[in-house]
This record gives sequence, structure tokens and C-alpha cells, in this order.
Amino acid sequence: MSSTDSTSSTGKSGKELIGTAAGPGEDPNEFIVVTPDEQAVKTGEFITYSVPVEGTDRDVIARVSNREQARGLPETFMADPNVAPETVASTLGVPTDEIDLYRLEATVIGYYDTGMQTFSNPRQLPSPGTRLWTAPNEMLEAILPNLGVDEQEATDASGSVELSRVNVEEGEGIAHMGWLLNREANAVDIHIPIDEFAATHLAILASTGSGKSYTAGVLMEEMMMPDSRASLLVFDPHGEYGTLSKMRGDEMFSSGGYQPEVEYFDPENLRIRISELNVGDVMSILDNPSDRMQERLDGGWRAMQRRESRTWGVDDLLDEMRQQYGEDDSSVGALEWRLRRSIQRNNLFTTDANVPLDELVAPGRCTVLQMDTLSRRDQQMITTVLLRRLYQARLASVRNRGDDDEYDGEIVEHPLFALFEEGHRFAPSAGEAPSLGIMRTITSEGRKFGFGLGIISQRPSKIDQDVLSQCGTQVTMQIQNPTDQDAIKNSVEAAGEEVLRELPGLTPGQAVVSGDAMNTPVLIQIRPRYTEHGADSIPATSQWRKAHERYQQQPTRSESADMGGGESSGEEDLL
Amino acid sequence: MSSRSTNDTGNEASTIDDCLAIGSIVNSNSHMDYTVEIFNETDRDRPPEPHECGFGQPVFINKTIDGTEYIIMGVIYDTQLVDPDQGRSGPRLAQGDQPQFTPGYVEERTTLAGVVLLGTAEVAGDGTVKSPSQEMPRWTLAVDDVVKQCPDEVIRSFHSSPDDGLQIAYIERLLDVAGPLGAEVTLSIVERLRELFPEDPNQRVLDVVEKDVRWQSSVDRGVMR
Repeated sequence: MSSTDSTSSTGKSGKELIGTAAGPGEDPNEFIVVTPDEQAVKTGEFITYSVPVEGTDRDVIARVSNREQARGLPETFMADPNVAPETVASTLGVPTDEIDLYRLEATVIGYYDTGMQTFSNPRQLPSPGTRLWTAPNEMLEAILPNLGVDEQEATDASGSVELSRVNVEEGEGIAHMGWLLNREANAVDIHIPIDEFAATHLAILASTGSGKSYTAGVLMEEMMMPDSRASLLVFDPHGEYGTLSKMRGDEMFSSGGYQPEVEYFDPENLRIRISELNVGDVMSILDNPSDRMQERLDGGWRAMQRRESRTWGVDDLLDEMRQQYGEDDSSVGALEWRLRRSIQRNNLFTTDANVPLDELVAPGRCTVLQMDTLSRRDQQMITTVLLRRLYQARLASVRNRGDDDEYDGEIVEHPLFALFEEGHRFAPSAGEAPSLGIMRTITSEGRKFGFGLGIISQRPSKIDQDVLSQCGTQVTMQIQNPTDQDAIKNSVEAAGEEVLRELPGLTPGQAVVSGDAMNTPVLIQIRPRYTEHGADSIPATSQWRKAHERYQQQPTRSESADMGGGESSGEEDLL
Repeated sequence: MSSRSTNDTGNEASTIDDCLAIGSIVNSNSHMDYTVEIFNETDRDRPPEPHECGFGQPVFINKTIDGTEYIIMGVIYDTQLVDPDQGRSGPRLAQGDQPQFTPGYVEERTTLAGVVLLGTAEVAGDGTVKSPSQEMPRWTLAVDDVVKQCPDEVIRSFHSSPDDGLQIAYIERLLDVAGPLGAEVTLSIVERLRELFPEDPNQRVLDVVEKDVRWQSSVDRGVMR
């Protein structure tokens, strides 16, 4: 412990004497602290005490989980709002100065074990009378996120281990997400290790308007910093990430010769080569194919995939099937109509064009797939095919297939991170989506192949539980809906009661970060973005007003209103 | 027993010297709790009327300590009637119209009053009081000390805090010592203070205190939860 024994406050470091341990609490890891000060300690605050573990004094961190008034003026003194309870108290000769006592319940998290590089529970509660301090800012910065601070980093010249001296900001590959909510702005900056969530996946869960795209933007900015230079792929069904291009040319992001690239792909250059589809994908976009039709298609498709050429189309497929099953086969006839309708007449599918993967993804490049003009089914289709290609390319890279002369597939040599805005569209918990299979595969296997996914969603309950539960790091923001809260409870391992209890009370920009990237869940304020945010709601009233003024200036039109025929996507969004 | 002349002004007396003596101390139950025998016609020319020594009547006792004259404030929180003749069923020597033959003990029917001490105040030269203290008095009273009816002006001074507010700091001791009638005696004091402190903030504080006492006693007596 530091030498500030007599003074109660050390100001800037954030270490303040706050109270005295009164005894054990209800749970094995809980203890009670009595504190006289009503301002200093909030629920969720990290406090610390010193306890000897195997001969060394360790600073144990605990989290304040509850706060009750232990002593104060009786409520009957507050019977009349016009009379201050202190006035009643002084009339009755009751002392009012510093009589408020608070009783804090605190849960032990543990001391930071530099060998294990995580918290270790000493299984030893502070004995009654032990003094408690708020944990120093620098120490929290070093040990709350899973930064793997080891003994070497924490040892100073004199050989003593002092976690507060670890300078977190010097580290590489970390994302500055924001600061601890209970402390002053920027007092305890939270840097999470990008390697961790890029390997074990990320989920950003929050209701609409609480800042999930903003948070994703912050993370993307951090991942494009010179010390990370990530290869990012963003599936953006709303076109919300248009402002990221501002990173290019911003001094903040450049270093040496490096400048982040931001590429936008719109549906025009997001065609899918038909031969990239597998038979399951095709089945999923056909209208109720019969068993016989499925069998015919399966046979035909296999034959086509065995061919050298990869530029075949629906006509070639139909020829192949007629060859196999005869000219007059009624199922092939029925398939023809369905295939032409679903594939041939859809601009999304072509026979030849295919964006090479190395054009699509590269280190230091953020690729945004702007899919806002596509239907949901087409978005899923693009995602499916692209993910499958990327996954196989990563697989080939990890398995060193590049050296194999026979391998003619694509190879992506660097790890990838793909971010899914509206994640529940691509991995829905109910209903079919062709992309679900590959999403499940990547979330469960991707870690081994350097392929991380980030799922952003406002409806955690609508995301496939297998996918969600595999997301090792979670950034959870305000969520009121009880179904969604349940989904988080059921599928997010790290979400303890304390995390769930906070969710309804968060305001936009506040988040709970938990999981693999953290040593313990913390409540943070997301930092401001360096680039502008692009997903603000449309200001309806001002636009109505402008539109109305515009109409007023135009001559009256005599056409009748078109009440139907337009494609509505709103209904789909509700599903 | 010192016999001091009293006048008829009773509660309207403006200085402590003119106050009506209502009894003398005969016994004590504790440091805070004394028994007073109320004067009757044989003790005083002008014995107190029932309304002058009733339940909740603030009283005081003069006491000179170390050359400084103090008053010790108290309040009547209980009364008791004593009749030595009670239970006697034997023949009487005298008829109702022959008082000259009345044996002494018939006249020894008395009214006793319980007085709980509230605090002290110094007596200023002009007969008013100053420096009220609602702490427990440290001095003990003596048997035969005369208990006087407390004038309104003294009650007011005694309950004024240094910052011109209202003070009833003895309330918890009063409630404790007065026992079963504690709530009632407190409420009767509050009632008197309402008239003596008509200013709005004080009235509101008294409202809060009164409600609190009523509520607490109702809860204690099982009327309310």
C-alpha cells in the first residue's frame, strides 16, 4: 500500500480512503464496508484492500455491489416537504452533522496475479477494521482489461511489483474504447486487446439509439490505427458506415507510410458467381422445391461442380440435368421455371464476374459492403458466399495449401475480422437463412483460422444462440426488453447478475464490456469518435417542412396516388 | 416549608418571582422523576386551581447553585390521589357538619403529581430567564422544594434555540421517563408551543413532531402498523 496512511485523499491517483470493513456478507465472496461519506462511493466502484497471500501483501480488488443507508435521520422527519429534516432534527436536539452512515456490500474480484495474468481470488475477506480505498486509476487501467500484464512489466527498478506503474497506452494492438463510468472522464481509460476479440469474436448488443453503431465505429477506428492495421470487412445493411472514409488522410491514423484504406462496395460490384453457390444455397432461394426436384438439382449441381469451368450458368445446369434425367422430365421442367425466376433474372447472380478476395480484403483496409439497396435474402446470399470463400481461403492458408500445386482455390494470408451490422439478419434464431451455417462454423472454428466475427444487434433474442454464445467478448448497452435480457443471460457466459442489473439503467454511450477481452466486466463510457458518426436518425419534422414548402412551389399534380406495388422492407424488419 | 406570598396572576406572571406555587417535592423516583404534593387550603391561602396544576402543566423549581440562580424546568406528566381513609369502614367520630372534630388524617387527602425534569435556565436580574439548556439537569432537588407554575414567557424562552428557532431536545427523555403517558404529555407541550411560537416555520416543525409522536404511540399501542 502507498504511504498515504494519514491523509484520506490522494486526489489525482484516484486512491481515496473510503471506509472500514465491518465483516463478511451473505455470499462467500461478499463483505460489508461502512463508510461515512455519501459522495465518494457509487455502486460498481472498485475498491481495494491489502491482504497477505503467501507472504506477500496483495492489493485485492472488490466491486461495490450494493449501497444502503445504515444510519440517518428517520423518514418521519421528512413528513413535510416544506420542512427540512435537519430543522426537525435540530428542534428535537438530534445531531445532524455527519451522522449519515452507509453500508456497502462489496464482492471480491481478486488480486492481479502477474504469473497467471488474471485475477486470482485470495479466498480471504478483509478482517473487520481493515481500511478500504478506492482502487487507483493506473492500477485499474492495467488490470481490468485482459492485457496480460506480466511481472516484468509491473516490476520497477527497485524490484517491487507495482501494478500502477504499468503504462497501458504504450501497449500495441489495444483498442481505447472509453473510460470507467464511475470515475471522471479519462481517469481510467479502458483499452481492450484487439487480438482477443478478433480471435474469439465480439458481440455488440444494444437497443436502437443507444449507440451500438457508434461503438462499432470506435472499435473500427481503433483497429485501423497504425499499431493494428486490421483487415476489416463490414456487412452494412443500412449504409451507416459511410463516414469511415474520413480516416483516410487523418493524421491520427497515419504513421510512417501507413494510411488506412477504406473501400466501399455497393451491389454493383458485389455479384455472386453462380458456381460459388452450393446446392443448399440454391434450395433456400427456390420456391418450395419438391423432394424429386431437390434430388434432380442435387445431381445436376454435383456434375456441374466437377467441371473445370467455373463460369457456367443456369442454362448449362439445365442442359446437364436434361442430359441426366431426360428431356421430358417434369421435375426438371419445374426446376427450370424456378431457377430462371430466382437466379437468372436476379442481377445478383452472374456466371463470370467475381471480385478476387485480395481486392476485397487486405491488411490496413476496411472494406464496407453497402447492402442497403438489396433485399434481405440477397444480403444473406452475398454474405453466405463471401464468408464461405473467405473461410476456405483462410483454411487453405493455415493448412499451407498454397504450397500445394494441386490447390487452385483462393488464399488469404492474413487474419480477418468481419463485422455484421444487424447480426440477427445473418444468423437468425428462428427461420431459415443460408448464412446461418457458415456463421456457426466460423464462430465455433474461426479462432483456429484467424477469422473473427463481430455481431452487432439490437435484438439479442433474435440471434442464433449458438452464434451468440460463441462471441467471447460482449459490449452490452442499454437493453430494456426482457426477452432480450434473457437471451443475454442465457447465451453470454460472462454476463453475471451485476451486468444484467445495469442494462436497463444505462444511457446512450454507456456500455458494459465483458468476456474474454476483460478480466472482469466493467461499466464504461464509450469515447467520442474521431470520425463523424453516420447513422443518426433522419430529422423528420424539418424534412417534412422542407418537402411541404417544395410542393407548395410546384404546380398541383393531377396523378392519383399510388397506393400499392411498392416493395416494403419495413415489414421484414419487424420479423 | 417556605411561605411566600403569591398573587392571582397565575400563568400570566411575567417574572419568575411572581409565580403561583403549586406544590412541594415529597419524593423522587429517579434523578429525572419527582413526586410533588399539590398544595391545598391548609398549606396555602391561595392553593392552585385544578387548571393550574393539570396534566402537561410546565413547572419550575428555583435553585441557587454556586451563587447563580437557576430554574429547573419540569412538566407534570402524571397525577395520583391519596386518601389514607380509603378502605376504612369503621365508625367516624365526626359528622360532615362538624369539621372541628375531624381527625388530621381526613385532611391528609392529597393530590400527588409526577414531574419530569426537562432542563435548566439561568435567572437574569430582571426576573426573566436566559441560557436555556435542555440537557439533563445535573443537580438533584430537595424534599420541600417549591414547585411553581411556569409562565408562558419562561416556557417560550426555555424552548428558544440560540438561532431563534424552536427547540424540544428533551423529547426523547420525556417520552422515556413519562412512560405510558409520554405521548400525551408531549402532545400537550406541543399544543402550548403552538400558541407560543406562531411563526410559520415553527408551526410546520411542530406539525411534523406531532405527527411523529402520534404515529409512534399509535404503533406502540397496536392501533396502527
